[in-house]
Amino acid sequence: MSRVCTPVAGRIEHGTAPDGTTRVSMTVGPEEPVFPGHYPGFPIFPGVCVIEFLHRGALATVPEPDRAWALSGIESARFMNPVLPGDTLTAELTWRRDGAGGRCSASVTGPRGTIARIALRFEDEGAR
Amino acid sequence: MTEMSAGVAELKRRLPHRHPMLLLDRVVRVEPGARLIARKAVTCNEPWYERLADDAAERDHDYPVVLLVESCCQAAGLLATWDAPVPDARGDRVMLFGGISGVRFTGRVRPGDVVEHQVRQTRSFADTVIFEGRSTVGDETVMEIEQLVIAFRPGAGLATATPATADRARGGRTT
Repeated sequence: MSRVCTPVAGRIEHGTAPDGTTRVSMTVGPEEPVFPGHYPGFPIFPGVCVIEFLHRGALATVPEPDRAWALSGIESARFMNPVLPGDTLTAELTWRRDGAGGRCSASVTGPRGTIARIALRFEDEGAR
Repeated sequence: MTEMSAGVAELKRRLPHRHPMLLLDRVVRVEPGARLIARKAVTCNEPWYERLADDAAERDHDYPVVLLVESCCQAAGLLATWDAPVPDARGDRVMLFGGISGVRFTGRVRPGDVVEHQVRQTRSFADTVIFEGRSTVGDETVMEIEQLVIAFRPGAGLATATPATADRARGGRTT
């Protein structure tokens, strides 16, 4: 069971490289709940689920984990390539404090190159 | 703007999305080439709630914001294709979600809410249509979208993915 209501079921792994870069990754399994309807007989992982992958990855790697963060907006997202069942998505995250909130941006890559470029905005909801 | 009531049967004739990703229930107004208003009723029966723990708090039941975005995109997709629907994701002309910017989430949506999306077409090029959107629950604005881009491609657009899948099936790659 989960604390999070999300259309993405796959497990999102995260880690920090020796150079300090934060990476997140996920394999899009054929059992993802969106596939039966997107689209029947022709599964394509929806663009909004690629945004959700970055959203969840960003929350798992917040720079100040003692505070509660919430997604407050999408600055931009551009989609270049489709994601299919079995694809592994990876992203190197750039987190930065931005006034009262935070911004997390990344290029998401997959087996067919760059999938999307996304920048998300987060609100700092105070100490946990 | 024409008042109307197009339900799920009509939506299925106009969009390739199906359960659980058909995220609209009704179109209530349309002015082709200009504006459209559509509704989405949120329920705890949607599969995203299935894995939520029984002791999760009310707040944990907030509707996933990316699905609000998808729902509004579907309203834009309906408007973009009102006079020439593209109900088959494998047809010779397909509709793609090209990108989005300036999205602000300004309110929570929970099971029991009815979200109303108002989309307005702001620009149109040969194969690209641009929209802005505002989504409300009652009097409250829950989401604003400055720019939403829908692109049309020949059927090969979505099918570009197919060769890589075939490579994998031949043992070129396993995941």
